[in-house]
Amino acid sequence: MPQNRRPHGPTRRALIAGGAAAAVAAGAAACTATGASTVNSGPTIPPAEGKVQLTYWAWLKDLQKVCDVFNASQDRIQVDANWIPSGDSGGYAKILSAVAAGGGPDIAQVELRQIPEAALSGSLIDLSRYGAAEHEGLFDPSAWSQVKVQDQIWGIPQDTGPSAFFYNREVLEGELGQTPPATWDEFKELAGVGTEAGKKILSLDPSDGSVMNMWAMQKGANWYQPQDGGWIVSMADDASLQVAEYWDGMIAEGLVGTSFAPFSAPWMAACGSGDVFGYVGGSWADALIEGVPGGSGKWAVAPMPRWDDGYASGMLGGSSAAVMANSKHPAEALEFLIWMCTDPAGIDAMIENSGIGWSPAKDYIGAVREKPSEFSSGQNYNTEVIAAMAAGQNLDWVWSPVTQRANAALGDGMNAAVTGTKKLVDVLPEVQDKVVEIMRKIGLDVEVAR
Amino acid sequence: MSKSKAPWILMGPFLILFVFTMVVPIIIAIVQSFMTVERKGLLGEEGVTSQFAGLDNYIAALTNPNFTASIGRMLLFGVVQVTVMIAAATILALLLESAAAKWPGLFRSAYFLPYGIPGVIATILWSFLYVPGLSPIVDVLGMIGIEVDFLSPGNVLWAIANIVTWTYTGYNMLIIIAQLKSIPGELYEAAKIDGAGPWRIVTSIQLPLIRPALMLTIIFSIIGTLQLFAEPRILKLVSTGITSEYTPNMSAYAYAFQYNDIGMAAAQAVIIAVVAFVLSAIALGLSNRGKKGGRTR
Repeated sequence: MPQNRRPHGPTRRALIAGGAAAAVAAGAAACTATGASTVNSGPTIPPAEGKVQLTYWAWLKDLQKVCDVFNASQDRIQVDANWIPSGDSGGYAKILSAVAAGGGPDIAQVELRQIPEAALSGSLIDLSRYGAAEHEGLFDPSAWSQVKVQDQIWGIPQDTGPSAFFYNREVLEGELGQTPPATWDEFKELAGVGTEAGKKILSLDPSDGSVMNMWAMQKGANWYQPQDGGWIVSMADDASLQVAEYWDGMIAEGLVGTSFAPFSAPWMAACGSGDVFGYVGGSWADALIEGVPGGSGKWAVAPMPRWDDGYASGMLGGSSAAVMANSKHPAEALEFLIWMCTDPAGIDAMIENSGIGWSPAKDYIGAVREKPSEFSSGQNYNTEVIAAMAAGQNLDWVWSPVTQRANAALGDGMNAAVTGTKKLVDVLPEVQDKVVEIMRKIGLDVEVAR
Repeated sequence: MSKSKAPWILMGPFLILFVFTMVVPIIIAIVQSFMTVERKGLLGEEGVTSQFAGLDNYIAALTNPNFTASIGRMLLFGVVQVTVMIAAATILALLLESAAAKWPGLFRSAYFLPYGIPGVIATILWSFLYVPGLSPIVDVLGMIGIEVDFLSPGNVLWAIANIVTWTYTGYNMLIIIAQLKSIPGELYEAAKIDGAGPWRIVTSIQLPLIRPALMLTIIFSIIGTLQLFAEPRILKLVSTGITSEYTPNMSAYAYAFQYNDIGMAAAQAVIIAVVAFVLSAIALGLSNRGKKGGRTR
């Protein structure tokens, strides 16, 4: 039946060679596509004449409902929201890949700390070229300062995380008979009292370096400062080293838990049983702490403990909505974002549907947040505590162009500190060297502060 | 003419997918592993250039202590976990293939069942058994005075090993059973006539003849170990002991999608692939030699 003859079509070898040639061409094209765009140097894109459809990728819950409020308020701009996994859980991978491939959304959620790094990757549009600076007065200064690098504006702040001390009042005041600590020295004493009773004032995730940023910026450190066309890095200044020394002491004396991360399942269980009775971090923690089993009516909020110098609070978390490099409608995207992030209707919709962190708008914290909280047994902590934390921020802080690497290196250092092989006071200079080396390797002009 | 085209038409759908989802990405990755991106100015606004970097990315990958530590960690993991798993798989296979086994079909499927559960789901389920405060195992051990933290930096590697062992023991057992079934019946008969007991049959007949299957499962398990990703990545959510570069693949993932250094990630991926390729070649060589030895007996 079958004649065993060679097919006359393309030979196997020719086909493979052809495929390889096509693939090399595709590969070369992919290489030039990565981040080499002129979107921030060429002419700006003028506003569109007719109707505009915008896509918005974010991991905010029910964001479409927020967009719908805007969509119903006018008929020129329609915004479609798409849910993506949160940044480090795959969201950034998705955004970066889509933009590198020449597509992606008009707007995407980018954490505040991630903004310079995302800008460096060529994924964002500099909104200062579209008149974003005119709207500065509508925003809380602590929110606005986080999206700026010199005069460049790389996103619109969508929420922030001014830090405070969240605590289980029943344990801290009831069982331990203490009051919330006003200073870091008092915080350490309280941690000691808790440890003696078999309880931890907080549980650190030693692999998460972001908390060290929060501690340092509160003390007045400014790790990354843009100057002229380059960066000045100072991760090992006096303020930072004092903070490192303090936490070296806390870790060495076993005053903080280090075996599970805040808001992880074991943390929730430990908070439910009272074994962990506090947390220092962004205001958005309130919504997560409401998930502590049996926690209703027990938790309260106090200001972040202070140093003699520095600021009232640091910043942990918070996001921006950034306009992506491949967007055809940056002007319309900016218009929508200014509405969403400053208009009381936008803020209230974001709080109600998406449960955002602290409002980025000036003088408007959201209608529901002006009322006392049921979970915190009637304490009106947003107006009493968090508002002051937001007002007491280090406005000079600028995020790193290599935040992920810096935080990973800090996390490695904290892990080493927890296992007792290093001290944080030695980790900071080491991380600084590493960060400077990485920044130089990608071509940036860097100096170490003296 | 039409006959000669038929195979290509039939293979077309496969070839198109294969070329665009396997061949092209592999070539892109290899090209990118020799490139670096350099950015000038504060945030790259003064120009971004992509340039040929020679072996810089490979040197950087191999001198990155986190990456080399992750490879070392996986080798340690492999030595312990693969040994335990293959021993368990062999014992289960021998027991199920022994004459005295009751309901071997039922038990075979039962042992194989965990393989059908995706790694992510299995890890989430196991994490509930590890997390203090949720885990009944931790509670019971605590009641009798044993305080364990499965997720501490020192233990979490073995917590992962346990999940992997649970998932893949049944799968490896099946491969070994397949080889056991191919042992001709007359060998057993001859052994019985010579007065061999069950233990002697295991050591002198079954174990030597399943050696190719054992080598295959061992080497493939080591390769699988090198590529570990889903289990540690999921367990990272509940354990502080897992860093962002805990395994070689997690390191490549971090460089690609968190550190935005595609060149370095590509170089790491190539290194992982080369190591896996070498191990696969060894596996195939060994199993082929085993087969030849069997035939010329």
